[in-house]
Amino acid sequence: MKKTVLLSLLAAALPLIVGGCATKAHYIQTGGRESLVNVNQINIQDFIQAANDATSDLLKGGVLDRVANPPAVIAISRIVNNTGQQIDTDLLTKKIRVALLNSGKAQTTTTMGLGGTAEDPMAKGLQQESEFKADQKVTRTPDFTLSGKIIQTLAREGNTSQSTFSFQLSLTDTRTGLAVWEGEKEITKQGGRPGVGF
Amino acid sequence: MKTRIFLPLAGVVLLAWCGCRTSMNTVENAQKEGQRQMVSDQRVITDTSLAKKVSIVGINQAMTPGGVLKVQIELLNTKRSLQRFSYRFEWFDANGMQINNVASPTIPDQIEGGESKFISSVAPMPACKDFRVKFIED
Repeated sequence: MKKTVLLSLLAAALPLIVGGCATKAHYIQTGGRESLVNVNQINIQDFIQAANDATSDLLKGGVLDRVANPPAVIAISRIVNNTGQQIDTDLLTKKIRVALLNSGKAQTTTTMGLGGTAEDPMAKGLQQESEFKADQKVTRTPDFTLSGKIIQTLAREGNTSQSTFSFQLSLTDTRTGLAVWEGEKEITKQGGRPGVGF
Repeated sequence: MKTRIFLPLAGVVLLAWCGCRTSMNTVENAQKEGQRQMVSDQRVITDTSLAKKVSIVGINQAMTPGGVLKVQIELLNTKRSLQRFSYRFEWFDANGMQINNVASPTIPDQIEGGESKFISSVAPMPACKDFRVKFIED
């Protein structure tokens, strides 16, 4: 009898205990201190930090101010992902593009892309149509291309694992083919593997 | 018997304590070529513990060739142990309105015992005239 009562009470309390342990869904600041950190993954705060670093460096260097017709026009070239993780490189490039556009120092073309593919095919079509009607070329050739690579370097000792993510970017002058700005941001994360995993 | 256990234990604790407390020595040129343009600052301290450990020595600013404000802050770890903190720059225009920047991160950082280090940031656009930096202990 006693056993049945005890078991019933335990069964009733179990969902409460489990429910109490679960984290209630809530909003946090993107890239803020509460953000989750994974050693083997690029987290959103890493992308924000890398983009901020690249933008600051670009603005500081003044390379974008040296074009004949400011603001400079940038075309996004290849960003190679050499990490073990599948990532959308727009998480990096879009932040840089937005920041540069807001700074008034550069604009990005959406009608020219790698291998002739336009980011915005409709805009490209309309642009070609207006060029045909006007019978003259109005497309501005980009002053620069932005290319880069994201590399992951792994290290492990005992139960501690470490990942370094290198965000390497180059801004190439399309007239000369020379890299006029190069930036590298390295983010290293270290953590222990959990002793017990579910 | 008790002493036999206590002495090695005390030794281990002492070693661990010493291991965590390493302080940095520095050397630099005495006759400086560069002149820092220092700015007067206004501080709001709510975490006195962090302010004591990681003190703000001074702030200097300069303009980049593109006419963008660049700010540099010198920090000093007054303790002998490594301190972890996070900081975030905020920028304001001539009307005191905050400029929203898509790539404005909270940057985790660390400073060794006795170390003096600089953190810096470049304004996201030429319209930025003022700044604020927030520090929080990790």
